[in-house]
Amino acid sequence: MGTIGRRVAVVAISVIVSVSAGAETFGMRKQIPRPDAYGRVVMDSFATKAQVAPVVFDHWNHRNRYTCRLCHVDLGFAMRAGETGVREADNRHGLYCGACHNNKEAFGWEREERQGLTTKPVEACDRCHSVGKAITPEKDFYAVTQAMPKSGYGNHVDWLAAEAKGLIHLQDELPGITRKRKPIRYAGEVVLHAREFNMPEIVFSHTKHAVWNGCEMCHPEIFGVEKGATKYTMQDIFEGRFCGACHDKVSFPMNFDCRLCHTKDVF
Amino acid sequence: MHRPALLLFLALLFALAPQAAAKGRYFDLPPLPDPALYGNRLLNRSAEKNGVKPALFSHWLHRAKYTCRVCHVELGFNMELGTTEITEARNQHGEYCGACHDGKEAFGHTPDNCDRCHTGDLTAGADKFNAFAVTMPRTSYGNNIDWVKAVKEGKLQPKRTLLANPPQAIAYDKDLKLDAGWTMIPPAFFSHADHNLWLDCANCHPDIFNVKKKTTAHFSMRYNLDGKFCGLCHLRVSFPLDDCDRCHPAMH
Repeated sequence: MGTIGRRVAVVAISVIVSVSAGAETFGMRKQIPRPDAYGRVVMDSFATKAQVAPVVFDHWNHRNRYTCRLCHVDLGFAMRAGETGVREADNRHGLYCGACHNNKEAFGWEREERQGLTTKPVEACDRCHSVGKAITPEKDFYAVTQAMPKSGYGNHVDWLAAEAKGLIHLQDELPGITRKRKPIRYAGEVVLHAREFNMPEIVFSHTKHAVWNGCEMCHPEIFGVEKGATKYTMQDIFEGRFCGACHDKVSFPMNFDCRLCHTKDVF
Repeated sequence: MHRPALLLFLALLFALAPQAAAKGRYFDLPPLPDPALYGNRLLNRSAEKNGVKPALFSHWLHRAKYTCRVCHVELGFNMELGTTEITEARNQHGEYCGACHDGKEAFGHTPDNCDRCHTGDLTAGADKFNAFAVTMPRTSYGNNIDWVKAVKEGKLQPKRTLLANPPQAIAYDKDLKLDAGWTMIPPAFFSHADHNLWLDCANCHPDIFNVKKKTTAHFSMRYNLDGKFCGLCHLRVSFPLDDCDRCHPAMH
C-alpha cells in the first residue's frame, strides 16, 4: 500500500467518522440571539489559561457612547474575537481596554468594591471577567435602550435613528491618547448593482456609515477605493467577508430583511 | 480489491450502518397527527419548572392571521422547540408572544387570560379548528388545508409585519427546477412566489439555503426527511413531505 493510498484512506476514514459522529448543523436556521446578547463577544485569548473568568464584551454598551473607529482603528482591536490577544499587562499600560478603563474615562482594574451598582457591590475585575458569574451589569440593557427608536432586528434598536435624534452622543477621540479627526466630508451614495436578475440594487450610503466609522474602517483593506475594483458576491458577505465583517455580527443582521440594503428597484 | 479501497469500503460500512439502522427505511416518515393537531406545540422550556402549565401554541390559529415571517423573523422565534428564551417578564416587556398579546393586537398578559394559553393540553382548540377548516380550501395531509390557495383566493390575508414602517417586500418570483439525485425520480419544482406569500428571504437564506445556485452542501431528500432543509418546515407546520407530488408533480 503506497503512502498516498494510505493517506487517502486515513483522510476518508476521519472525514466519515467526523461527519457521522458530529452534530449536523447544516440545513437548519441559526439561533436568533436575544436583543441584549446581539454583538456579545467572549474574550478568552489568555483568561482561562490564567485561571481567570473570560471577559464578556457587549457591543451595545460601548457603541452607544463611542464610535467603532475609536476601538477598531485607534486602539487596534481586531475584527474577530481572539485575534487581538489582549493581556492584562497591556490594559494596565493603557492599551486596548485600558485606554478607557483607567479610572478616569471608565472604571479601572483596582480590586475594590464599587458602590452604585444595581444590586450589590462587586469587585471591578468581575464586571468584565464575568463568564459563569451572576453579575448584574451596572447598565441595564432595557433601561439604556428603552427610549430609543425600535427596530425588529439585532439589538432591536435603530442605532442610526437614535443618534440622529440626539439620544446618544458618540465620542470619536480619547484626549491625549488618540488624535481628533475631522468628520468625513465625502458624503456620496454608491449604487451597487446586484448580479441576480430583478434583485433591487443596493444604495450604499457613506453618510450613514460615517456616523460610527472613519474611512479606515473599510478602506483599503476590506474594500479598495477604486470603483468596481473589489469584486464580491452575496455568498462572500454571508460568509463574513466584505459587508459581513460587521453586518450580522454587530451592525444589523442580514437574516432579517434584504430591503435594508437592497432598496432600489430595477424595474 | 486494493487495500485503500477496501479500507474505505469498511469505513463507510461502519460509519453508516448504525445510522441506517436507527433511521429505518428512507421513507419511514413520522406518523401524522390529527389535522386539528398538526403544528400544535406545547411550550414548556420553563413553564412547569415555574409551576405553570405549558402553553399551547397552535400554528394553524396564528398563521390564519399572520405570516410565518412575523414571528420567525421580526419577533425572533427560533425554529426548534425549547430554544427561544421566552419568559413571562419578556412577554410583559412586549417581546416574543407579548409583541401581539398586549391587550391591543391580541388578548393581553392579564391574570384572567393565563388559562387561554397555559392549558397544558395539546388537543385544546380542536373544535375551533374544525369550524375554521370547513371554510378553507381543502387538500390532503397536514392540516388538510391548502394554505397557499387560501391566500391566493383572498380567504386569508395574513399580516406580513408588525412594524410601523416595514421595508417593502422584494418581489422575487423565480421558479426553480430541482433535479432529483436518484434515478427515476422526477424533478421537484420550487416556487419562490408561493413561498413569499408566507415568508421573507431571510427565513431560508442564508442559514438553510445558500443564495448561489447549487452550492448548498448536503441538500438532499435524506436530510429533508431528517427535518433539515425543506423538512424544517415541511414536516412540522407546512404540508408534510408525505405529499410527494406537490413538489415532484410528475410522481405517481
